[in-house]
Amino acid sequence: MPKKVYDAIVVGTGAGGAMAMKLLCEAGLDVLALNSGPRTDPSNDYRLHRQPYDLKYRGFGDPRNLEGKAHQERYTVEESEYSENSDIWEHDVAYSNAHGTNWYWKRCKGTGGKANFWGRSSARYGDIDFKAADLDGFGENWPIDYAEIAPWFSKAERYMGVASTIQNRPSNPDGEYLPPLPFRCFDYIIQKAAEKIGVPYLPDRCAQLTVAHNGHPACHYCGNCTRGCDVGSFFSPTWFTIPDAEVTKRLTLVTNALVRCVLANEHGIPKGVAYVDRNSKAEVEVFGTVIVLAASCVETAHIMLNSKSRQWPTGIANSSGQLGRNLCDHLYGGPGYGYLPQLVGQPPTPDNIADSTVAWMPRWQNLKNPHEEKFIRGYSMYIGGGCGEFPGHYRQLEGFGSEYKRNIKRYYPATIGALIQAPSLPSPTNYIDIDPEKKDIFGIPQLRFHFEWGENELMMWEHSKQMMIDLFRAAGGEMWGADSEPNRPGTSLHETGVCRFGNDARTSVTNKWGQTHDVPNLYICDASIFPSPTDKTTTMPIVAFTMRNCDHLLENFRKGIHKRA
Amino acid sequence: MGGQGIERREMLRYIAIASVAGTFPGFSQWAFACSHNASPVLAQAVAQPYKPLFFSPKHYQMVELLADMIIPSDDTPGAKQAGVAEFIDFMVANRCAISGRDELPTTQNVLALGEQVQGHFLSGLDWLDAHTKIELGHEFLDCGAQQQITLLEQLAYKAKFKPGTEAGRDFFQLIRDYTVVGYYTSKIGLQSLGYPGLRTVWPKMPGCTHPKDPEHAHLQESSQTSFAD
Repeated sequence: MPKKVYDAIVVGTGAGGAMAMKLLCEAGLDVLALNSGPRTDPSNDYRLHRQPYDLKYRGFGDPRNLEGKAHQERYTVEESEYSENSDIWEHDVAYSNAHGTNWYWKRCKGTGGKANFWGRSSARYGDIDFKAADLDGFGENWPIDYAEIAPWFSKAERYMGVASTIQNRPSNPDGEYLPPLPFRCFDYIIQKAAEKIGVPYLPDRCAQLTVAHNGHPACHYCGNCTRGCDVGSFFSPTWFTIPDAEVTKRLTLVTNALVRCVLANEHGIPKGVAYVDRNSKAEVEVFGTVIVLAASCVETAHIMLNSKSRQWPTGIANSSGQLGRNLCDHLYGGPGYGYLPQLVGQPPTPDNIADSTVAWMPRWQNLKNPHEEKFIRGYSMYIGGGCGEFPGHYRQLEGFGSEYKRNIKRYYPATIGALIQAPSLPSPTNYIDIDPEKKDIFGIPQLRFHFEWGENELMMWEHSKQMMIDLFRAAGGEMWGADSEPNRPGTSLHETGVCRFGNDARTSVTNKWGQTHDVPNLYICDASIFPSPTDKTTTMPIVAFTMRNCDHLLENFRKGIHKRA
Repeated sequence: MGGQGIERREMLRYIAIASVAGTFPGFSQWAFACSHNASPVLAQAVAQPYKPLFFSPKHYQMVELLADMIIPSDDTPGAKQAGVAEFIDFMVANRCAISGRDELPTTQNVLALGEQVQGHFLSGLDWLDAHTKIELGHEFLDCGAQQQITLLEQLAYKAKFKPGTEAGRDFFQLIRDYTVVGYYTSKIGLQSLGYPGLRTVWPKMPGCTHPKDPEHAHLQESSQTSFAD
């Protein structure tokens, strides 16, 4: 009995994967999508307007919750006691860190992946990012420029719905926007202070539906976004792309399918994918004309590195040797926190009901002169604060009793804190490979991280700490402190680079459409193709580049480069 | 999912409360501090006094008193009404630490931290009794209210620190952490703070209401306790 051959197999159903499967289904292809874990179910897996006091451990979670699992480290923030009954967080597949590496790899294996819970910051990249190598001599340019990708950013924004304003900054290009989220009291105070020190403070490009959009309801500001939206008022695969793909009736979605490797024929050409059924532990092979990998950045490279054969001794489509290399991340950390005396004693204000980055300081360094600062390129900063879910500032106040209780309340609207988002530069020390010894519980050789922060991003970190001191002074604020060091690598969830795209097959894994140089029927639709990080986040660009990649893929079907099964 | 409406979410909230209530040995204040409306399960259990899972009766009384001193009842209900002592007992008994939780790769690490916390509570409470015995001739609970306040001030305010009381000061920070967390994760605590997120449906996000004063240089301090629509 001949095995079924799908027109396309899509691995992963996150920001990239679910958009790919939607576009390919809508074009009439017969698509098999494989998702690592189970189907995400909002009615079981999301916060659903619950409060901390609705939880047995008030949000801290049962300490024994992960006992017996292969990967017992909890993922903070997105994974929480609100989803303790769910099976969408990856705790069965372990990974390794090389000696001296401390990568924190948060994985959501439910359909939709991390894009169910993402931060929604959605700025466009510009030529300052794409042509950075021309500007400062470091690394490789991207194989596209802004003019080529701008229409795709527009398509992505039109589909997703992004709220912002027109700002006329070429380094942070303007897009097609819904009405912005309004500034809060502390935003205006910081904006005035930032102005004094020559730093921009502007509405972020936030993928939150401030108005109803394409049949999705406007946000009702329950503030639960980071633990899942119960109505789909921001772009997530669960509410947007997966239903769009399913409505075509050309999608076969298999869940709990942990992909082991790409299968190649005797000529080294991909013919399908092998996966482990998580429930039965059976090894399954499926076949497709075209394979699209969108398993999330490093997992895509993991799969390819494990896809070894006679033609591909170091992993499929790795003639460049760049597979797994050029691992980059955003350096995250808190370079300053404190309070604004102007707001002490004010009534509480609904500062965080949108649970999002209302405003930010988009990169302002090295804009006119690429070598103005001691570091090259640049970073951005998010400022948050005000009335939140818990008065974390209680630690900064002395004492106990009624006066203490009153002070907790007085300072509640006045606190602010910063988050730096600094791109790391590609480095020979930063890559992923396969652990030579360890296999996960399904027998798949484990992914191993090698990563350390480099001098350039550490200089950005130092620069940001000085900027925060200057900012507080300009605002008339009081600093309480700053983090002593940046967060662990991996914290940002914005890793890139390990299957980088480029025009030169000797130095890149895919071409500018995410199609591997070595084999034409293998495409990548996640952030692994981005060769260098920017000061900006990755999700909206993943969607935009996926739309463009799939357009090319479909063109290749029309041209007969790929043939329908 | 989108068509479920508010009713299903309310149902889920009740299920969550009921399941929590069912696991408690004999809750009283804590349950009231959590409930959105009285439900049959909760009302039934209210009659029984709380039986600590971890602390001895004397230690539990000390925890109750300290929590009440730290966050008293004044213009809004305090730690006692919010059932903070029950929260502390429950968390400590279950080895669920509330701080120092960075980089705990295994369940064993997590539980070990929780055990450390258990030890710190016991030695801290014993330190308190030993200290008041020496200084005032009585255990902590038997001291007068003003004596208790004075002692706590010596552990809480830098200007009042006395040499040799480092262990007591550390214990004060520990029990204050647990009291503040227990209070401000309760409904009573969040109401007293004026936490805007108690309301989960808004027609739009209201922004700053001071358009003429972006630097907010001319605001008067307020005594408002809850957010007005």
